[in-house]
Amino acid sequence: MITNLVVFAFIVGILTGAVVVGANSWALALGLRMSWWRWLLSALWYILLLFLLFAAFTFMGEGEVAAGWRTIGISVVLMVILGAGLARILLASRSHPDS
Amino acid sequence: MKNKSDKGENSCSRREFFKIGGAVAAGLQVGAVAGAGLAAGKDPSTHTGWQHLGDNTQFVDRSKMIRKGPAYEIVGETLRPEMHESAFGRQALIMRDMRQYREMIKSFDAGEERQEGMGNRRPVPQGETSPETTGGEKSTKDDTSFPPVEAFKEPMLSWYKNRPDLYELDKLRVEEIMPKKRKDQEAYGEYYTLINAWSDSWSTHESITEPPEESDFKIGRRKLGDARPFKSPAHAAKLIKKVAHHFGATMVGITTIEPDWCYNYNLRGSKERGSYEVPKHWKYVIAFGVPHQWEQVNSNPNSGTSFDAYSRSSIAARRLETFIKSLGYPARRHSPMDGYDLIAVPYLVKSGLAEQGRHGIAITPETGSNFRAAFVTTNLEMEIDQPIDFGVQAFCEHCQICADICPSSSISKADSNEGMNTRGYKHWEINQTSCYNFWMQSMGGMGCRLCLIACPYSRKSNWLHSLARKVDSKDPTGLVDNGLTYMQKNLFEAPEAHEYLPPPDGRFANFREPPEWLQVKNYLDIDVNDPSIGD
Ligand code: SF4
Ligand code: SF4
Repeated sequence: MITNLVVFAFIVGILTGAVVVGANSWALALGLRMSWWRWLLSALWYILLLFLLFAAFTFMGEGEVAAGWRTIGISVVLMVILGAGLARILLASRSHPDS
Repeated sequence: MKNKSDKGENSCSRREFFKIGGAVAAGLQVGAVAGAGLAAGKDPSTHTGWQHLGDNTQFVDRSKMIRKGPAYEIVGETLRPEMHESAFGRQALIMRDMRQYREMIKSFDAGEERQEGMGNRRPVPQGETSPETTGGEKSTKDDTSFPPVEAFKEPMLSWYKNRPDLYELDKLRVEEIMPKKRKDQEAYGEYYTLINAWSDSWSTHESITEPPEESDFKIGRRKLGDARPFKSPAHAAKLIKKVAHHFGATMVGITTIEPDWCYNYNLRGSKERGSYEVPKHWKYVIAFGVPHQWEQVNSNPNSGTSFDAYSRSSIAARRLETFIKSLGYPARRHSPMDGYDLIAVPYLVKSGLAEQGRHGIAITPETGSNFRAAFVTTNLEMEIDQPIDFGVQAFCEHCQICADICPSSSISKADSNEGMNTRGYKHWEINQTSCYNFWMQSMGGMGCRLCLIACPYSRKSNWLHSLARKVDSKDPTGLVDNGLTYMQKNLFEAPEAHEYLPPPDGRFANFREPPEWLQVKNYLDIDVNDPSIGD
């Protein structure tokens, strides 16, 4: 169990590094002027997405499949709404895309 | 110029690489988190307390939950429980009076209900006080008529005169529910073969045959030695809790005896069947509990059993009783398989193991209502625990899930337990008789336990439910209560209350499907009638 956790943390850690570098590249490519609080909002959105997914699949794992799917459905709606809000905030700061 | 353009191209392609790599990593991370969620949900270590031994098994630190004040508010004259008050205790009195009545009208068949009370399965030996182990007698005739009120003797005569509603419920059970149960058993009995085998396999018992002044002072036939002094009551409590965990208990608490919470009849091992004085050497009560098997408990009410947890808590009680006696202190076990001389829930509350919920049973922080309790009474002086508060009272006022799902409408839907008075104590109370009548209708290992498992506190201890319970207990506003209750009602699917009833009103539904290893179709080569499909 502990070994599995360590392996899992290791993999997720590496992936997080890649996600952060990738996000920075996307921001530059799209010409977003990312201040610290814009990064914070983006990170919170992403963490919330992972949290909801984790919760939904935990429900499925414990045999509550319907609750899992419902959580996914609600999460999609919620994340799209929050994502649209976040996109507006980020795009408002946009300069010319760095091509 | 060329160099500059090369640089630009390099940085552009590096950025493209990072962009694509980041997107792929995000996708993988989402997948990893989903997989981890699945694993967290399946994780057998969230089956708190099941087959988990060791002295560090107390999963919850209760010192942060202690509340001030007594276990219950006293709201009237306090009384000890009488036999005829409980639907289960009443059975023996009903049988006694029915037998005489039928003898009188020359149609003797007093054993019918008891026989059928075991779910039409082979009766287990008599002598226990737990409701599902009340034993059976051979039935001879098909007479199902219930005597008129006047045919009963005291105390049933006065009781029925004061409680015509309960007379009607008892009559309904004998005259309608039991004959219908026989037919259901014929039609669908085979479908429950594995459940019944599983349930039967746990039913072991060991009656106490001598009164406390004898049995509590002996191990077998050997008299107790001198009492071995402990360094302090705190040391005694610490050791007793450690060994109780080793003996199989998931949670352990200690409190003092309260005579009001000892039955006022049928002291085990005593020849006297009536009232008795609580033995002086019952000074302390060690309370402990063991959960039901977590995969199987969800398939209540028609494919569940009580006997798994009954058996395990009873065996722990036998071991603990012997351990204390071996140190020279008198002790007596009170357990589901071997019988109780005391009522369970108040001692669980007083010893700080649990709070009492709307469904009338105890809710613990670690396994919710999914557990069965046993006790040992002794005069070994131990440090005692205090009642706890982890938010159940407030949660129950918002929740009502158990009341909505109860197939016999036995659980109150009142806004609060204000005005409720059970023998002088204020707490939630249910209609035990209509509850018992549903037990008699259900299939499988007999009983119901639906409120036990539908209660949100009874969910497995994975990170999600543990987090929800923790956050809720810290919220004084009630907002989290409302949010969690809303989620419970809208995210989780469960059959409607009537679906748990026998056909034609229902379909013998279960809260969840039984685990695959208890489904006849997966293992046995026999013809069965699935009640959810019909004939
Ligand atoms: S055990 Fe079943 S019938 Fe009895 S109160 Fe609970 S849900 Fe209702
Ligand atoms: S189901 Fe709800 S109302 Fe019933 S005991 Fe559990 S928390 Fe209380």
